[in-house]
Amino acid sequence: MNSDSYIKIENLSISYEEDDGGRTSVLKNISLNIKKGEYLAVLGHNGSGKSTLAKLLNMILEPDSGKIYIDGKEITDPSMTEEDVFELRKKVGMVFQNPDNQLVATIVEDDVAFGPENLGIEPHEIRKRVDDALSAVGMSEYAKGEPARLSGGQKQRIAIAGILAMKPDCMIFDESTAMLDPLGRRDIMDTIEMLNREHGITIIMITHYMDEAARANRIVVLDDGEILMDGAPTQIFEQHEKLKECGLDVPQCVGLVNLLKERGIIIKGECHTPSACADAIVAALNKG
Amino acid sequence: MAKIKLENVSFLYGEGTSYCKEALKNVNVEINESSITGLIGHTGSGKSTMLQLLNGLATPAEGKVYLDGVDIWAKPKEIGKIRYRVGLVMQYPEYQLFEETVEKDIAFGPKNMGLSESEIAERIREAIDFVGLSPDVLTKNPFDLSGGQKRRVAIAGVIAMRPEVLVLDEPAAGLDPQGRDVILSGIFKYREKTGATVIIVSHSMEDMARLCDDIIVLSHGEVVLNGTRDEVFAQSQMLEKIGLAVPQITLLMHELNARGIDVDNGIYTEEAAAAEIARIFGGAR
Amino acid sequence: MKSITLGQYYSVDSPIHRLDPRVKIVLAILYIVIVFLSANILSMALLLGSAFLLIALAHIPVKLVMKSVKPIVFIIAFTAIINIFWTSGEGDPLIDIGFAQIYKEGIVNAIFLVIRIFVLIIGSSILLTYTTTPISLTDGIERLLSPLKKIGLPVHDFAMIMTIALRFIPTLMEEADKIMSAQKARGADFTNGSLIQRAKALIPILIPLFSSSIRHALDLATAMECRCYRGGEGRTRMKILKCGTADIVAVVLVVAFGAAVVCLNVFFA
Repeated sequence: MNSDSYIKIENLSISYEEDDGGRTSVLKNISLNIKKGEYLAVLGHNGSGKSTLAKLLNMILEPDSGKIYIDGKEITDPSMTEEDVFELRKKVGMVFQNPDNQLVATIVEDDVAFGPENLGIEPHEIRKRVDDALSAVGMSEYAKGEPARLSGGQKQRIAIAGILAMKPDCMIFDESTAMLDPLGRRDIMDTIEMLNREHGITIIMITHYMDEAARANRIVVLDDGEILMDGAPTQIFEQHEKLKECGLDVPQCVGLVNLLKERGIIIKGECHTPSACADAIVAALNKG
Repeated sequence: MAKIKLENVSFLYGEGTSYCKEALKNVNVEINESSITGLIGHTGSGKSTMLQLLNGLATPAEGKVYLDGVDIWAKPKEIGKIRYRVGLVMQYPEYQLFEETVEKDIAFGPKNMGLSESEIAERIREAIDFVGLSPDVLTKNPFDLSGGQKRRVAIAGVIAMRPEVLVLDEPAAGLDPQGRDVILSGIFKYREKTGATVIIVSHSMEDMARLCDDIIVLSHGEVVLNGTRDEVFAQSQMLEKIGLAVPQITLLMHELNARGIDVDNGIYTEEAAAAEIARIFGGAR
Repeated sequence: MKSITLGQYYSVDSPIHRLDPRVKIVLAILYIVIVFLSANILSMALLLGSAFLLIALAHIPVKLVMKSVKPIVFIIAFTAIINIFWTSGEGDPLIDIGFAQIYKEGIVNAIFLVIRIFVLIIGSSILLTYTTTPISLTDGIERLLSPLKKIGLPVHDFAMIMTIALRFIPTLMEEADKIMSAQKARGADFTNGSLIQRAKALIPILIPLFSSSIRHALDLATAMECRCYRGGEGRTRMKILKCGTADIVAVVLVVAFGAAVVCLNVFFA
């Protein structure tokens, strides 16, 4: 086993039973290594199996076959005790799509405290963690407020703070921006990047938004339960025909670079954000 | 004549309570017949209120809402008829489904209209065709369908009323590109075939750029921009200032401008941008 | 709909707001007992005085409190009238209208009753609902009842259910509102028709609302599990309730008040 891989997935398969008794494969023999501190985006259209993968990593679902190791421990081992599952969930936190369905308490700080309270941490330590987590996501001023009065993006930041207060090694975001407006999405994307950069948290972000995936260090594209592509965003976006085939778009800037290529204008380098793309175009112009 | 006209419309939220807020302030808007008009603005800008004013779900505190030049509140008892003419698809409409079969659910609106059985059957067939569902889903339980399919059933439920004006609140929210394309092209098809007027709210400027003829921008309950798609996108600084997601291509054009390259700021499609940049390259060589 | 406030909690800072919820619950019970102990004009006057003192201490507008008493004015009036006619006194009736007689005792009883109900409602709502958030109320109840855990009662689970229910009321209200609008947009009519027709018209609201509640519940259960929830065992709390000086003062005051009422009863009977 690779020493620096934090999550290791080996030949993982899972299917579910149909009403007529047949089985439908959701994930087919998937293998994947995720390094500690990595910022990984899992891309795929609805039904590609990406959310199922997230649920497997947190032991909400069990695979039909294959193994998952987290931090060197095999979590698919049938001898896992309830205590082991508890330890695992402490390490790998999960943020879901609908912020409303994750918040437990009617006061923001009480909600953030919920996880640490479950871990049986000393009250003054919980207080500290809650304050730190809320300030990390920029929600300190809402500590005594009610979640019901916050915007979707703010609620989602509270949900993130609630996981952060458990001090996880890794956080999984299961389409956590899908229900937010552009401002809320930008907020959450910035928060995720901050968690990765400043807190060293391994990020697995499940999404179907290309512009969000573009911000990760690495993208895995799932299609029909299989890994179709795996690489840095630039490598992935180069194959935009392949992406289109599995129902995904490329960021507009990448699409533009591809159109320019057809016109015989070659733009080299990273082009998935407007500023990077502008730099690349300027560089190409100067060369020409 | 404008299909829909809002005249000095104001709307108060939570009237008579301490948290009373003006959701819309003196709005004057005209929407052209058979156009696709995009309504943009961030959460709390008054978009949803405006949609509900169009079909009489909300009553303006001041001002008038006209449909074909007639005040929709002229006969308050007949506001129900307005709701059949102005079909509203709310946000996440899949959560409104309640019947045991898709067919019955789509029939809910037409039945309330008092149409004959054969007419209803005809309209159901037509509606599912618009949203790209095959007739074999009709007998299925809507709760067994995927999220995207449920959404399409819900939209079909409004299309089956054959509204002259189809109003949709973020019809593609949360869907993947495939799901989004099916729904948006269905809406486009509905307009092409029936000549209906379409009003659509979306956060995606890319979708708006692709679909709309006209665009109205709301901010804090006021109309800040109102014009054709090109006119509105030319004001990208304004859009950014009020915190809206400008298309990535437009941002790129700004970035190029900032780097001293003279390109058109109002460009919002990949094709136009490719032509513009090719022009710059041509000039440089 | 969004701004609906639960349990009429009035958000200001006051000495009463700051009291420990457990103490407030106990004091509310004590106060209710005292209300029923008082039996003469003097102790009644003291009761009334205490009620207004509570309102003042809690920094809650008198107008608001009176507004909340309004809905039950009818019930108070009704019981008062019944008391007037049903109580027979020792002396001659004050008024005799053939089938009914009104005695002095009846009127006194009725007045006492009105004061009692009035003070009861003000006292308990000032001590509890106006000044305590629903969440700290459930918290207080959980801790007060925690000795019952020893005999196997699921006190923690009960409190958690209460907390979540309170948390989801605004969410579900908002959802009900949206579903209703969506069905109205499809021509549903909730205001016209016979009772049966109207009941039927609710089905398009209740089914989606029910299915969305289930969805919320399932999602929330998963999210809670992911946040390491496994019941009350091994769980600590961030906020430890502590009885401070203010709480002790409050208890002493209420006990003294109770003693005063009893004294007035005994010495001025």
